[in-house]
Amino acid sequence: MTSGRPKIAYIMKYVVLALIIAFIVLLMLNMSGSSRPFEDMEKDVESALDTDGLTRQEDSRFKRNFGLTAADYSGVMYYASDASMSADEVLLIRVKSDDQVQEVTAAIEERIAARKNDFEGYAPEEANLLDNAVLSVRGRYIFYAVSADAQQYLEVFGSSL
Amino acid sequence: MLFSSITFLFLFLPIVLAVYYLVPDKAKNIVLLLASLFFYAWGEPVYVVLMILSIVLNYFCGQDIKNHEEDPRKAKLSVTFAVVVNLLILGFFKYYGFLIETVNAVLPVDIPYRELPLPVGISFYTFQAISYILDVYRKDARPQKNILYFALYISMFPQLIAGPIVRYSDIEEQLRSRKINIHRIGQGAMYFIIGLAKKVIIANSTGAVFETVADIPAGSLSVLTAWIGVFSYAFQIYFDFSGYSDMAIGLGKMFGFEFRKNFDYPYISRSVTEFWRRWHISLSTWFREYVYIPLGGNRCSVSRNIFNLMVVWALTGMWHGAAWNFIAWGVYYGVILVMEKYIWGVSLEGLPYPVQRIYTGVIVLVGWVFFFSPSLGYSLRYLGAMVGGGSGIADAQGAFLLFGHWLLYLIAVLGSSPFGFRLLHGVIRLFRRGRGRTAAAAVIYIGIFFIAVAFLVTDTFNPFLYFRF
Repeated sequence: MTSGRPKIAYIMKYVVLALIIAFIVLLMLNMSGSSRPFEDMEKDVESALDTDGLTRQEDSRFKRNFGLTAADYSGVMYYASDASMSADEVLLIRVKSDDQVQEVTAAIEERIAARKNDFEGYAPEEANLLDNAVLSVRGRYIFYAVSADAQQYLEVFGSSL
Repeated sequence: MLFSSITFLFLFLPIVLAVYYLVPDKAKNIVLLLASLFFYAWGEPVYVVLMILSIVLNYFCGQDIKNHEEDPRKAKLSVTFAVVVNLLILGFFKYYGFLIETVNAVLPVDIPYRELPLPVGISFYTFQAISYILDVYRKDARPQKNILYFALYISMFPQLIAGPIVRYSDIEEQLRSRKINIHRIGQGAMYFIIGLAKKVIIANSTGAVFETVADIPAGSLSVLTAWIGVFSYAFQIYFDFSGYSDMAIGLGKMFGFEFRKNFDYPYISRSVTEFWRRWHISLSTWFREYVYIPLGGNRCSVSRNIFNLMVVWALTGMWHGAAWNFIAWGVYYGVILVMEKYIWGVSLEGLPYPVQRIYTGVIVLVGWVFFFSPSLGYSLRYLGAMVGGGSGIADAQGAFLLFGHWLLYLIAVLGSSPFGFRLLHGVIRLFRRGRGRTAAAAVIYIGIFFIAVAFLVTDTFNPFLYFRF
């Protein structure tokens, strides 16, 4: 190296490499999914649900509410309230490939918007729950919950991974 | 953000173009860079950080290589560092899950692992970064002093997500200065509209037919249905990917850039060697320039040349995805190309043209079966169905798909040959030269645009196939 400038490039490439490694570690801690089978994840999340007000829904209801076909994914667990005045629902999906993540999140966002539209005006507390809906993408797992206990369910989902 | 989305077509693109044309030349690169980062962050709000870090890393690596040009040993160490780090980052995101799954399958262990989604476009922008590093090392290009210009090269939104992979040496001058005129903008708009129509009218429609076939278990497919499925996929992937490339080239022109073509009517090829000169040209060129030739290319013994070809094609397969079927697909083409080069290539040239095209077509279609299959086992069952190992010769489903979509296939056949383009421009040439012809071209292209938009509005979410690579 001949002057100060070469040293900058030489040092900076290692500094940036260190930043990339740190970034990947953060991703692994906060964004990664896991290779756990869907059945195991489903069992963990299901055991934490308050099933008094929520009922396991058929694939046809999932299709009707989200416009998605359950068979296209590795696994789908969908719970929703049977009461028409309740916005409560919990959805756990494992997608088959990364490119399915966006279609599922887009469908969930559409569902939230449509439900808010339904509830605003005559059931403000339900619309409020929808405002606080949780949507988490961890690797190939997608979790969505509308409930007073949504944060608690999200924690269970995160720790199950 | 997809090119084929209402948000892109009616909000993002018009705003970016308007700002880009209004600002002075000095500010154009910055506008385009900001637009590109916004475009990427729209779909990848987290991974945009990774792309920015990759840009900064490669910028300094380029400077470091230049700084060591008087000392070949240190320059070599520096370039090796840069290439290895780029490949490790790509490898981590793309192959680490596949590697652990393979170990779990082969050994009596069950290693759990954390999955991360693949950052969109990482295979493309990493290859562009390596192109820059190697071009600088080989002195085919000067290192870019302006980090904003370098960032623009890596992140330029028209070709960021799915190529074409632009070699740095091809675009170096254009980053400094380029001409924008009404002729080029018009030409760009025409490319873009054709690409959009290819994607939303033909690729999505043939893709829907393919999905119908793919939902049937391979063992229950008749010969007719299996062939309709593979033809549909062949058209889907061609119109999807070449449509994206046309849109990228068109957008590039609108911003004053000239990208090389990525497809040149591959389905009219008369040999597999020719097919690969016409299909995904930028990827083949990248592998030829940065892997095949450095390995010795064909200026070596026959055995070494065969080795070089097989390495390149195994890597080409792996580049497409972390799965055994992609590796099998790459090796399959490696073997065929070696055979054409050393065994039957000369005999093939002596055959009538239609026979050569049928030969190429069958090999390419069999290749697509490996490509679209979720596993190697499925691809073998599907290939079995194509030769009668499924459920008979023909069935009602196959007949329905064929007769229900004959017009779509006719358009697809025309569109995948130069005849389709000649036909379109033949219609335009019916009008008198001058303003009449320009007006006719404008009306026809605007018509195609609105038909494509009509398809888009009624369609479901349909990302480009090459996004996953």
